[in-house]
Amino acid sequence: MNFILSSLIFTPLLAALVVLLLPVRRQKAIKAVTLLGTLVQMVLAILLYFRFDGSAFANGQQGYQFVEKLHWIGFSLGTLGRFQIDYFVGVDGISISMVLLTGIIGVIGVISSWTITKNVKGYFLLYLLLLTSVTGCFLALDFFLFYLFFEFMLLPMYFLIGLWGGPKREYAAIKFFIYTLVGSLFILIVMIGLYTSVIDPQATAVQLGLIGAGGTAAPNAILQVQQMLQQNMVSSADMVRTFSIPAMMEPANFIPGSLLHVLSGVELWYLPIRFIAFLLLFAGFAIKVPSVPVHTWLPDAHVEAPTPVSVLLAAILLKVGGYGLIRIVYPIFPDAGAYFSILVGGLGVLSIIYGALNALAMNDLKKLVAYSSVSHMGFVLLGLASLTTEGVNGAVYMMFSHGIISAMLFLVVGVIYDRAHDRAIQNFRGLAKVMPAYTTFVIIAFFASLGLPGFSGFISELLVLLGGFSAPEATGMLPRWLTVVAVFGLLLSAAYYLWALQRMFFGKYWIFPELRAKATITDLNFREYLMLAPLAVLALLFGILPNLLLDKISVAVTGMTQLTLQNGQEQLELVLSSLIR
Amino acid sequence: MNEQAAYLSDTISTIKAGAGVLLPELLLAFFFLLLVTLDLFKSRSIKQLLPWLALTGLFAALLIQVYGGYSSGKESFLDMLLSDGLARYAGVLFSAAGIFTVLLSLQNKALENLRQGRGEYYALILMLVLGLNLMAKSVNLLMVFLAIETVSIASYILTLTLKEEKRAVEAGLKYVLYGTLSAGVMLYGMSFFYGLTGSLHYTSEGFALALLRADTLLVTVAAILVFAGFFFKISAVPFHFWAPDVYQGAPMPVVALFSTGPKMAGIVVILRFVAPFTDALAFRDVQLFLGIAALATLAVGNFTALWQQTPRRLMAYSSVSHAGFLLTGLLAFGTDYTSSILFYLTVLLFMNFGIFLFLQIAEDAFKVEKLADFSGLGRLYPYLGVLALLYLLSLTGLPPLAGFVGKLLIFSNVWEAYTLTQNSLLLALLVTGILLTGVALFYYIKIPFYLFFKGNQTDEKLVISLSDKLLLGLFALALLVLFFKPDLLLTWIEQLLTQTL
Repeated sequence: MNFILSSLIFTPLLAALVVLLLPVRRQKAIKAVTLLGTLVQMVLAILLYFRFDGSAFANGQQGYQFVEKLHWIGFSLGTLGRFQIDYFVGVDGISISMVLLTGIIGVIGVISSWTITKNVKGYFLLYLLLLTSVTGCFLALDFFLFYLFFEFMLLPMYFLIGLWGGPKREYAAIKFFIYTLVGSLFILIVMIGLYTSVIDPQATAVQLGLIGAGGTAAPNAILQVQQMLQQNMVSSADMVRTFSIPAMMEPANFIPGSLLHVLSGVELWYLPIRFIAFLLLFAGFAIKVPSVPVHTWLPDAHVEAPTPVSVLLAAILLKVGGYGLIRIVYPIFPDAGAYFSILVGGLGVLSIIYGALNALAMNDLKKLVAYSSVSHMGFVLLGLASLTTEGVNGAVYMMFSHGIISAMLFLVVGVIYDRAHDRAIQNFRGLAKVMPAYTTFVIIAFFASLGLPGFSGFISELLVLLGGFSAPEATGMLPRWLTVVAVFGLLLSAAYYLWALQRMFFGKYWIFPELRAKATITDLNFREYLMLAPLAVLALLFGILPNLLLDKISVAVTGMTQLTLQNGQEQLELVLSSLIR
Repeated sequence: MNEQAAYLSDTISTIKAGAGVLLPELLLAFFFLLLVTLDLFKSRSIKQLLPWLALTGLFAALLIQVYGGYSSGKESFLDMLLSDGLARYAGVLFSAAGIFTVLLSLQNKALENLRQGRGEYYALILMLVLGLNLMAKSVNLLMVFLAIETVSIASYILTLTLKEEKRAVEAGLKYVLYGTLSAGVMLYGMSFFYGLTGSLHYTSEGFALALLRADTLLVTVAAILVFAGFFFKISAVPFHFWAPDVYQGAPMPVVALFSTGPKMAGIVVILRFVAPFTDALAFRDVQLFLGIAALATLAVGNFTALWQQTPRRLMAYSSVSHAGFLLTGLLAFGTDYTSSILFYLTVLLFMNFGIFLFLQIAEDAFKVEKLADFSGLGRLYPYLGVLALLYLLSLTGLPPLAGFVGKLLIFSNVWEAYTLTQNSLLLALLVTGILLTGVALFYYIKIPFYLFFKGNQTDEKLVISLSDKLLLGLFALALLVLFFKPDLLLTWIEQLLTQTL
């Protein structure tokens, strides 16, 4: 057994323990330990990335790599069988990109946090806890474990915004907390429903005596258990209920008669209950993505959060939303995914356009960047809704690329805020004259984000749009006009970035008179080069050599998409037919 | 004459045979009498000894019930009291609650300054625990009534411990008034049951069969009347009005005890009482009443807590909302909900004693009366602040704390029951219960909000006693352990329950 995934998850936690033991006064040491912890995590992530075999397709119980499965909580429910929670982590093509992203951004975030002076120990402690929970989220294959990490993310973030944020930080922190908690409560409802409906075929086979305890998963035995289950031949006392996500992905593992079974035929508010479950899960993750109309916490949180926290929030935390959709929502409820593709895609396009229009209207540079995040994350929803190979690959690519680029954007905003303690666009003009290097990075970040060919943003948008346009023929999912509208989003993003660039950086140098006293406008220092340059290189690298990432992700993503599409159409018919019956 | 003598000796021998069932209660009664007697002496050293004696008694009762060798579990005392696994586990919880109460009382400033009645205070705690034990063991309605009254009378006096304070007197008066009213209503309902079934032995099969034959409307009315008394004990809507005032007026350890002990005992009594009402067809109205009561309790508890300005009142409504969760769990008919409920009660015990200990420290050392008075305390005392945060998150029901597992178990039972019956009331309870967690976060988070986000009011550093710190850490540790390994406790509960069924 291989412990690389556990090391990835718990390295930051270990560093956090060391930080906890260090005295408050040793600020240098605290920072050094944090940096070391994140560096180790990054090295592990890169190592994992290279050792990961991109040609293997993860399907059902098999095919996840570096799997660790340990028995965690098991409890007999008497006549209702057993319930089981495992420490079950594994990596496949979908999560590998996110893990790599987390590793990189974790280090960049620490470099950007170097100037924190207020309550250093508390800050880095929370920072490390946050990293642990995000990594855990990306690697968990047990829904309970996923939910644990998912919820635990909120708390450090709440304090990071609320204690180290800007003037309205308390409001922003509580808004963030309540919004995302409500989202996770929706998820909790469905999680409970799923766990009462799904069995672990292997453990049930052990319970039935078909294979010996600790025996390897014999495909025949599992198939036999699934057949027996569907023919009502497994007594409920022998069923082992599970939170395992791969088990939930197979319709054959659902207990006949349970509410979420494809043939349950239960309706609620004129919709099959599986569709309701899908909508609840979708709502929960859409808050995190965030999609319009539940995005309103994001601008507040971003504007009030300190720069490194904004970076983490935009680059990694938002991805948990998209990742949850791809890992959990679509594979488990492919039928509803196919049925609601127009809704998901429509919300995606709405986010693209509405976010871009908002960004166009913003005077605060950080708000502009925040709304551009909303706009770009809309592409993830669109790509996913298309259920085409290109579209979903594009969605995953978008999450990775947006992680790199949005981190850069927020860092760039932080740089000007550090110098002038202000980031209103109209208060600056001609910054290119005094800060040439800074302006170069701003231009790189802006152009990467608006999708200039050669940057990673271009690849992802291209793939998503290709997917969207081919969807009507290939999968019959989205109407073509929706994708046409999405293209206007590209135009709008070019507009707000170029306009901001023109207003702030070009022309004669001028800054707002009241700012002059406090502001010391100097070009980038070494630390800022250190955090911006790698991101710029990465944005370029993944723009020029998309295969670097696609080689690792595309087999798994394509397999997942085709499976979802195929299962979706089959199950959709079953669900609808069971209603008529 | 001879006949009478024979009858008498018969009775005496059955009493002797069944006395084993009552061993923990006898022990508690003995220590109660010991405390009352010793309290008569004026010697200071004896007075100092009293709390420790009370602790000894409670510990002894705890150990007896944990090891439980004193009865086979199936025998009953005159068909009145039954010492089955449920009662045994509940007894463990009550003894633990009593022990925690005494430990908290030892640290309490207001009690330290109390000029008279300290011995009586500890004796009454023993009395109350004794009453709770009897509640959990009763299988006869009359015995239930007597046990509840024992608990109530001890509670009334404990509320009035700080007689000099006006709010204590007000709280005591309200408590007595509501208490007697609900007791009267409950007794009235019990008389209905006696009339309808001819039996007071409410866990027997005959009782359940007679209920099925009786007029449904009358049974429903009678059940609602009896529930009035139970709801008073667990502070469920609409019998929760005493809670905020009593929580405001009583000493902190007593509040902690009220928020756990009588609530746990009330739930155990309801657990036994609802067993005949599981038939969804015959007793639809009773179930509807319980469902609506649970919904109302959840809603009133959570939404009213939003407006509270003092931590004590906030916790009162929080305790109402927990009663709502417990009632929700009780409605999952057809599933094995008993172990989930008992697990939730255990978690509640640790959460509530933890948070009330924190409030006691805050009140005694920092004069915290309003929520705003918490400002900056968490920054000044990180240990205190972080632990308070843990308790509050557990009360909200967030991972990684045991409160989450408790809610998860209860809601999975409700979902399971919904699968079986497709009763939309259960679905409503499930969705409401889970979504109200979001509301709950909003008021619980107010305390950490002031603790950490607001500036310091004072800069003086006070020393918090080591025993307080240890106790705080212990409660928090229990919550963490019960999150990461809930099966340790659940297996034991399940064992106890199956042993005696």
